[in-house]
Amino acid sequence: MSNVKNLKYLTGPLSANNPVIVQILGICSALAVTVKLKPAIVMGLSVMVVTAFANLVMSLLRKSVPMRIRIIVQLVVIATLVILVDQFLKAYVYDVSKQLSVYVGLIITNCIIMGRVEAFALGNKPWASFLDGIGNGLGYGSILVAVAFFRELFGSGQLLGFQVIPQSWYASEGGFYYNNGLMLFPPMALIIVGCIIWAHRSFNKDLQEK
Amino acid sequence: MATNKFKNGNLYIIIYSVVMVVVVAVLLSVTAMSLQSRQNANVLNEKKNAILQSLGKFENGVATEDYDTFVDAFAVDADGNVIEGIGPDAVIDMLFDLKGAIENKTYPVFKSADGRFVFPVTGNGLWDVIWGYVALEADLNTISGIALDHKGETPGLGAEIATPKHQALYKGKKIFEGTEFVSVTLVKGGAKPSSPSFVHEVDAITGGTKTSDGVTAMLKDCLKNYLPYIVAETSIPEPAEEESESEELSNE
Repeated sequence: MSNVKNLKYLTGPLSANNPVIVQILGICSALAVTVKLKPAIVMGLSVMVVTAFANLVMSLLRKSVPMRIRIIVQLVVIATLVILVDQFLKAYVYDVSKQLSVYVGLIITNCIIMGRVEAFALGNKPWASFLDGIGNGLGYGSILVAVAFFRELFGSGQLLGFQVIPQSWYASEGGFYYNNGLMLFPPMALIIVGCIIWAHRSFNKDLQEK
Repeated sequence: MATNKFKNGNLYIIIYSVVMVVVVAVLLSVTAMSLQSRQNANVLNEKKNAILQSLGKFENGVATEDYDTFVDAFAVDADGNVIEGIGPDAVIDMLFDLKGAIENKTYPVFKSADGRFVFPVTGNGLWDVIWGYVALEADLNTISGIALDHKGETPGLGAEIATPKHQALYKGKKIFEGTEFVSVTLVKGGAKPSSPSFVHEVDAITGGTKTSDGVTAMLKDCLKNYLPYIVAETSIPEPAEEESESEELSNE
């Protein structure tokens, strides 16, 4: 029984309760870091780590934290985790950390994390909270990767930096094909997120408002 | 009940906050200190790659020459003399505080195995510092390549200075008009091939005028420091250089 419930914490945010396409949270960074797949993957993983551990730590502290300063405590926990992630990225994947630039620091302000801590971790056991954090991080990351997939493929003709669309197709090489420059700009990310929400809602009738 | 009262009291909150802050501070300091050497190595590597990039030996993230064998480094003083006793590694270290090195009148020079020179430059963009590496041909007049970067210019506008598209514009431009140092200027509205000074001009960034002005000033101010060295290395006569320098000072 408890395993089924735990699994739900993990899978719920992937589709039916996805933080990006159902709750429409964390859109700002979803637009900013999805030009290429690699930063999107790293960003998704970073957010997952921060959400999971913020949930875990806050759930462990939930009985001892003074209610009057709980928001500040949450901020300190989240900010600490974000700085740790930032330091690790700078040390081990420097080029990606440069591409993500301020957006790593801005994970602190990602509403998903604070939202999960406040809504879930403060009222649930550590293991369930940790899974909930992983689930929400995955839900966020999966949308980022999906958006980045389309943007990198049609915007640069590459995936993860490898040329996918044959060079001979390009107009500059005598072919017919042009990269879509609009894909490189944030508005296109918003349009893609919109399309994903559209498709997602068509398949999940219960999400549609009456 | 008693514990509940204590838990909502000010004393508990203060103790809780203090313990929390101390734990966090220790955790962050230990992490920062243990990762510092790795992070510095990354930054150092990036600087070496930027120098190779200005020389056209670093493209699409791959270095085609080994920095340590391809580039020699030394420092010159305000009179253009090579300063003894500063090895290549010490010169690279100067790049971490280039503004300080310039204030101390020590100017780093990088010389490639094929006889070209790279001068590091630094200045201010619109929001934060900008920096770059100017590679000159052996004549110390023609720009062979440039690498520009920035800390926080506006993406899509000022940040365009860091793109290959913008940096390609500098290739072949000249920093001397005859014997007079004129540097290279970023021209708002675009450099016109019909203009007599086209060889000293490149297109400014559309919507990034302040950043472009910053690049212009950075090139002029930093390359100026190398004039005595350039004069000593080439046949450009000394008086002209003196003249141009005083002219610039009066302009400022």
